[in-house]
Amino acid sequence: MTKPDLGVTIGSMAMKNPVMIASGIFGYGDEFAGLADYGELGALVLKTITREPRQGNPPAHRTVETPAGMVNAIGLENVGLDAFLRDKLPAALAHGTNVVASIAGDTPEGFAECARSLDGTDVAAIEINISCPNVKKGGMAFGVDAEASAEVTAAVRAATKKPIIPKLTPNVTDIASVAQACERAGADAISLTNTFSAMVIDVEGRRPLLAAGTGGLSGPAIRPAAVYRVHQVAQAVEVPVVGMGGIWNANDALEFIIAGASAVAVGTALYADPAAGNRIVAGIREYLQRHGIRQVSDLVGSIQL
Amino acid sequence: MSEPHTSPPPGTQAPSGSGPLRLQAEVLESERVAANHRRLLLRAPQIVTTAQPGQFLHIWCHPPEEIDRPPSAALLRRPYSISRLRPPDGVEILLRVRGNGGRLLAAKAAGESLDIIGPLGHGFRISPGLSLAVIVAGGIGLAPVSFLVERLGGLGVRVILLAGAETDEKIPFRVERPQAGGATLPEMEALGAEVTFVSESVEGVRITEVVQARLDELPGEGAAMFAVGPRAMLKRLAEIARGGLPLQVSLEERMACGLGACRSCVVPARSADGASYKTVCRDGPVFDASEIDWERLTP
Ligand SMILES: Cc1cc2nc3c(=O)[nH]c(=O)nc-3n(C[C@H](O)[C@H](O)[C@H](O)COP(=O)(O)OP(=O)(O)OC[C@H]3O[C@@H](n4cnc5c(N)ncnc54)[C@H](O)[C@@H]3O)c2cc1C
Ligand SMILES: Cc1cc2nc3c(=O)[nH]c(=O)nc-3n(C[C@H](O)[C@H](O)[C@H](O)COP(=O)(O)O)c2cc1C
Ligand code: FES
Repeated sequence: MTKPDLGVTIGSMAMKNPVMIASGIFGYGDEFAGLADYGELGALVLKTITREPRQGNPPAHRTVETPAGMVNAIGLENVGLDAFLRDKLPAALAHGTNVVASIAGDTPEGFAECARSLDGTDVAAIEINISCPNVKKGGMAFGVDAEASAEVTAAVRAATKKPIIPKLTPNVTDIASVAQACERAGADAISLTNTFSAMVIDVEGRRPLLAAGTGGLSGPAIRPAAVYRVHQVAQAVEVPVVGMGGIWNANDALEFIIAGASAVAVGTALYADPAAGNRIVAGIREYLQRHGIRQVSDLVGSIQL
Repeated sequence: MSEPHTSPPPGTQAPSGSGPLRLQAEVLESERVAANHRRLLLRAPQIVTTAQPGQFLHIWCHPPEEIDRPPSAALLRRPYSISRLRPPDGVEILLRVRGNGGRLLAAKAAGESLDIIGPLGHGFRISPGLSLAVIVAGGIGLAPVSFLVERLGGLGVRVILLAGAETDEKIPFRVERPQAGGATLPEMEALGAEVTFVSESVEGVRITEVVQARLDELPGEGAAMFAVGPRAMLKRLAEIARGGLPLQVSLEERMACGLGACRSCVVPARSADGASYKTVCRDGPVFDASEIDWERLTP
């Protein structure tokens, strides 16, 4: 059999394979450089940026490991838009694959300002982070409300021609309706899920272990919950879905694809294995060959119910 | 394992330049050194040629070939200081077993391999004019000290080691009390350090009290202090040393990436623009005491 075709497209972003790095996991890509060939992956989503630099949450602790997962409360510490454009983006683009910028703001206009500045750059797409559980204003405050999500999406839509991808929080009752609202507002794709709101308590001290009090759970612990939400959203919208949440190996990625995701993103797994994305690309290729499937897009949403 | 021990795991690139390496290191020896403490000797020639005292390794605690399977415990790598180099190819770590990760590492037998990333972070800075180093270590803080003592000794620097712990069992070294003069650590003496060890349970004093008492004997010029241990000890030393001796401290914080990317492991830093954070994994683990905002550093 000829080599299977791993290519997928998300809006106008053509990817050589469906595997991305999730936002916030490896910063802007520079520190991980050399530990794997990130240019081999379909796309790299960089750490969420805001107009102004942010300090993030107070430390001790910002992350706590939990069974098959971790809870983080980084709080969107980032270098800000200007430093991002000047110092970080060029190095990220040098990896040689699609770079997706992730943006956040306190108001729809804050998001739009970031999008406008990115419009003239070489980023392949813009992810809209309306799902960060670790900031008081903005972030998840938008994502838990379908109307507010649509408002942010529309503001970003008006500011850029790049493909825009709202990233949803799982911490809602009806995720499909949030996805539909974003689609109507002009989203080219939907990505999900961000982390699940979570808390870890130091029993001796009777205090939260995270200085911020609460955080977001990621890693294999959330995978089945994320697969279900991806499936729900994929059935509710026409635009492509980027699925993530606990992906560790090719089998996990295939679950998301079969559930309806056109592409997947790998997060927490990178902390154990910086080459997890590359390993997953190889595993998906092997699966397609073994099953005689010519292109990965044939597998998207192929779940039989 | 029969694979070449130092080749990068499948799917990884052999990185060029001076960035951190990822490699499979064979366990050459594993030995109990005290209750709950083990010494592991790893075969990692690439680390030997580049490592500096104070740097650490980020270790996957499960078998390297199981990286494709998500574990439910010890999902993240664990940071351990490079304790000593055994040229041409040996790297030692000393570990105190604390939880799941430590237990898994302590159970590794000679012949098994570890997936490690390193050397990571910034180690101790040794200024050219240094003639006397006072190393202060508390408990498992002694782990990176052998490497530092050896490096300083090689540079002809006189080394005074002041070490302390709650009990003799809380350090990865043998304690001797030859005469009424006090306790010592023979292995550290063999490396050329002038050692004072105090255990709170036997000598009944804290190491910071010893430091305070001995500060006056030190020359004003050419001396510096290097400290590794619990935050409370480091905080106290920062007060004691303020204005006088230059002080470098090695800090710990919970990590995810270990590379400076995720911003998990930050500590409050003093900087011109007011409040800012530095990462233990990349900016540290060794900091100049003046870089740290001690008021805001949580215990
Ligand atoms: C730069 C650095 C160097 C270190 N060097 C040594 C050494 O040479 N020898 C040694 O015995 N220990 C050292 N430690 C501490 C060692 O990393 C922890 O004991 C170990 O991570 C505990 O893991 P666990 O699964 O056994 O324990 P658990 O308590 O079950 O760990 C739970 C989680 O907390 C984290 N954690 C717990 N304690 C610490 C800590 N003190 N620092 C950072 N993260 C922690 C773990 O990594 C894990 O994510 C060092 C820590 C740092 C940051
Ligand atoms: C330390 C950390 C930082 C993160 N930062 C961001 C971020 O800045 N923006 C964002 O959209 N998601 C962020 N995320 C969420 C991830 O992108 C991803 O949605 C989530 O972790 C689930 O995937 P995983 O289980 O594979 O990690 C972060 C996750 C972690 C663990
Ligand atoms: S552990 Fe990720 S920045 Fe230090």
